[in-house]
Amino acid sequence: MSLFGNTITSLERSIDYASVKNQTISNNIANVDTPNYKAKSVVFSEVLDEQINKQFIAKRTHPKHIPFSSSAEQHSFQIVSNNNTTYSNNGNNVDIDKEMTELAKNQIYYESLVDRLNGKFSSLQTVIKGGR
Amino acid sequence: MGIFNSINTSASALTAQRLRMDTVSSNLANAETTRATINENGEYEPYRRKMVVFQPKDASFNSFLQRARAGSSSVGNGVRVKEIVEDDEPFKLVYNPNHPDANEEGYVQLPNVDPLQEMVDLMSATRSYEANVTALNATKGMLLKALEIGK
Repeated sequence: MSLFGNTITSLERSIDYASVKNQTISNNIANVDTPNYKAKSVVFSEVLDEQINKQFIAKRTHPKHIPFSSSAEQHSFQIVSNNNTTYSNNGNNVDIDKEMTELAKNQIYYESLVDRLNGKFSSLQTVIKGGR
Repeated sequence: MGIFNSINTSASALTAQRLRMDTVSSNLANAETTRATINENGEYEPYRRKMVVFQPKDASFNSFLQRARAGSSSVGNGVRVKEIVEDDEPFKLVYNPNHPDANEEGYVQLPNVDPLQEMVDLMSATRSYEANVTALNATKGMLLKALEIGK
């Protein structure tokens, strides 16, 4: 059994996601007046990928065969832009209200993740110190 | 991806919005300027309204090529001012025969600046500026929080 377990890994990935998302939101807000700019969003495809890859436990008869499960790929977030809508006259579709609420949500999400990480570390510390 | 990317993104937007406000200020300040440039006939021309053109920072050919080769989509890293363009709208003609720049019929050409339009533009720039400050503060809060990991 590993010392840190799965919790830290998933927290780490989530925090990574939150920071990419923050960057995307910042970029959308920065381009709120840019003509023809289309808002971008982050798709958390990682969870989905993991669930899908779990199904495939295939045997490789040759070392050069392509593995079925992708081995712990970091940054498998996808950034997609929504090209279908137009919100304002200049072809821009950044909805500033949505972006600001997403920003606030993401900040709270990030802080709660940091909080959880710290909780995890402090319980590990409790174990290391033998409960003292 | 650097740590300060989000902050740089917001900073680029703050710079851009500030330039927009400066342009508005310049337009308002020159709303009555009849002698801004001299045209090819050697005559004074009034001030032309200036506008700022924005562009996403990653819209260059180079960055498109790099993204296509890497097969990835980018987050984007802010906004930049592509150029400052002048408004082609015709100048306002005002009847004022006593004006030194009046033509033979007594009409003076005044700049194509509409103060109302400028004020609306100024308010829009201010709001966008504030939104970017909020985004910047959020990022700052998150980064400071990240420093607390493991404390």
